[in-house]
Amino acid sequence: MDSLYLLIPLSVGLVLAILAVFGWALHGGQFEDLESEAERILTEDDRALDADQASDPGAREQSHV
Amino acid sequence: MTAATAVPSPAPLTVVDDPIEQGRYTRWVTGAAGEKLGESSLQLSGMVCAACAGIIERAIGAVEGVRSVQVSAAAQRATVCWDPERTRPSALIEAVRGAGYEAVPDAAAPARALRRREHRQALWRLFVASFCAMQVMMMATPSYVAGPGELAPDLWQLLAWGSWLLSLPVLAFSAGPYFSGAWRALRQRRISMEVPVALGLVITFIASTGATFDPGGIFGDEVYFDSLTMFVSFLLAARYLELLARHRAAQALECALARLPETAWRVAADGSTQAVSVHRLRPGDQVRVPVGQAFPADGVLQGGTTRADESLLSGESQAVAKADGAALVAGSVNLGTPVLMRVQRVGADTRFEAIVSMMRSAMSQRPAAARLADRWAAPFLWVVLLLAAGGAAVWSVIDPSRAVWVAVAVLIVTCPCALSLAAPAALTAAARGLARRGVMVQRLDAIEALAKAQHFFFDKTGTLTEDRLQLSAVSLTPAGQGVFADAKAATARAAGLAAWSTHPLSRALADAGEAAASAPAWSAIEEVAGHGLSARDEGGRTWRLGAAAWVDATAMAGNAAQVWLGCDGLALAAFECEEALRPGTAEALQVLRAEGVQVTVLTGDTPQRALALAARIGVDDVLAGATPEAKLAAVTAAQAAGRRVAMIGDGINDAPVLARADVSLAMGQGALVSRSQADAVIASNQLGDLVRARHTAQQALRIVRQNFVWAGSYNALCIPLALVGWLPPWAAGLGMALSSLVVVFNALRAAR
Repeated sequence: MDSLYLLIPLSVGLVLAILAVFGWALHGGQFEDLESEAERILTEDDRALDADQASDPGAREQSHV
Repeated sequence: MTAATAVPSPAPLTVVDDPIEQGRYTRWVTGAAGEKLGESSLQLSGMVCAACAGIIERAIGAVEGVRSVQVSAAAQRATVCWDPERTRPSALIEAVRGAGYEAVPDAAAPARALRRREHRQALWRLFVASFCAMQVMMMATPSYVAGPGELAPDLWQLLAWGSWLLSLPVLAFSAGPYFSGAWRALRQRRISMEVPVALGLVITFIASTGATFDPGGIFGDEVYFDSLTMFVSFLLAARYLELLARHRAAQALECALARLPETAWRVAADGSTQAVSVHRLRPGDQVRVPVGQAFPADGVLQGGTTRADESLLSGESQAVAKADGAALVAGSVNLGTPVLMRVQRVGADTRFEAIVSMMRSAMSQRPAAARLADRWAAPFLWVVLLLAAGGAAVWSVIDPSRAVWVAVAVLIVTCPCALSLAAPAALTAAARGLARRGVMVQRLDAIEALAKAQHFFFDKTGTLTEDRLQLSAVSLTPAGQGVFADAKAATARAAGLAAWSTHPLSRALADAGEAAASAPAWSAIEEVAGHGLSARDEGGRTWRLGAAAWVDATAMAGNAAQVWLGCDGLALAAFECEEALRPGTAEALQVLRAEGVQVTVLTGDTPQRALALAARIGVDDVLAGATPEAKLAAVTAAQAAGRRVAMIGDGINDAPVLARADVSLAMGQGALVSRSQADAVIASNQLGDLVRARHTAQQALRIVRQNFVWAGSYNALCIPLALVGWLPPWAAGLGMALSSLVVVFNALRAAR
């Protein structure tokens, strides 16, 4: 039972951490347009990568293949 | 003005490039190199699948000067970033049209951005509340399941601290709207439903906090964090669903209204005509108004005569003759001849302004069901406060140490969770169910009124019938039988000619005729107001389409709904048109009457047409030739007789009646002002949905009543127990949670 004294505070911390992650995702707009993300794989445009990944020329090359 | 003036038509796209119009759908941003870039939003149509998005993206992307383009297939919207130095918005629209789709500027982008912020905030509050509530419930479980003495006091203390910590964000952040709402109400010296809710939340939290940090003190040693957080998350969930329904209604309205800018043909000093945005018009301008277009502003007719559809003022479709110098009203439609008008007043009274103000009022409007609850919020609050004070006073004599605890217990058990959820939860669920069926509810009160309505008034044109005519019969004259093989050939010929006119009868003909393979190339096409069209074919023969006397000078005057086709002064064929009935109308009215509802048709149309239509749909109660005043009087009389009245209409002339009726529904195709006035919009334009909506509303009302009975009896049972000090705190907490759960789950049935 002693482990509970550690686990209960841990669970509170975990809840707050999950809240923070969800808040970041929500305010980053990840829940706004769910459908077009799912359909993106069907289109052949070259915006398939996030902006920071696109700076890698190798990755960009692959997306054209 | 001579009759047939060449009218530049359709409106050129260049009007979208007008800076005034651009500002409505474009945001100016600064590019990477410091240059000015436009970010425009376009509403697309004609998309059938996700792949269309790619086609449109490529088409716009190929336009010189476009920096980036994003097309959302789900929202049917394109966001384009373009360089004003190198391209124009009209080029973007051209590109989309070239790809085989249609695009119009999307002026509603700011409203959408506002909605997105509102939605994010609501979802965030709801998530914080419900996620913390889940965790608090988990921490509360041990004290419910543990036997006496099984839960070590220090472990209980730890769980209570944890619950307290997780309840803090719920109370401080998620429940914020309730506290600010209660504060606003109190400052205005009135009591809304938020006041008892906020009071219940605060008292419960304070008592539980006292128990957490000072167990066995004046607040006893029971914590209610679990019921508190669950209650807040239920309230927020109901609010969130209501917000989704409201947003969906606003969005549907926006999509229906997205269009090219309203264009006026201004006559310059040198006599040339120039297409400008209506917002560019100034008093004194001279404007050319083609047939079939609305007058862009208030003004006077300059030269010539015409007829105007002033349904805005007088009623149904009876065109008003306008002589030289007559006053013209903005929004009325020019039916006669192309005319010149001099602008006198330009207003903020455009359709766009109407939607903006409507959106604003919709946003500031609180859910109407809460207003209903506000009525008994004050008595409820006073009774509860009196009981709590009375209980404390009595107990301070019997046992002073328990006085505060008893008062707090009364306030906690009466925290109006279930009561405040009873109506909104059921009505919101019903609104969601209705939206799925194509009825957009704009005011939650409407559901109650719809369920109780006993007398349904229907507008005729546009509501029972579609606002178009359909060809019902074709007859060939003896001369016509020699020219045409059959009625179909005659219809095809007439349709080819009718396609050149925007007159309702012409449009009915043009829709009816199949494109004939040997369609003659018409030349010298002329439209003469009040008479008809004339044109020459390749053989040099003059064909005429229109009134009997126009086609054949020897013919007697025919029926107004009759169109004649003739060649070189000889009548060949006659076409009968009738109003096209909306599908399912007769069945829907039959069901309503079978359910004991009185049905009346109100129309500004002539009695014989109204009666002919009434016979087709089996309604005997018809008020024909009614002006808006007469319609209003009919509805008022029914209300004076103690009946609850529902009005279903579509036109501008229905707007006053829609405002007067207990509940009003507008057709999705109806005029903007009637749609914004109505409590609900039948987006599908099918009256069958009205019947289903009524059933859903009645079901929702039954559920609300059940909820009230349940919540009321729970409170009535618990208050005496709390007063005499017999209510164990765990039972009070469990009862609170259970009563809310019962109410919410019961309400969900309304969505089916």
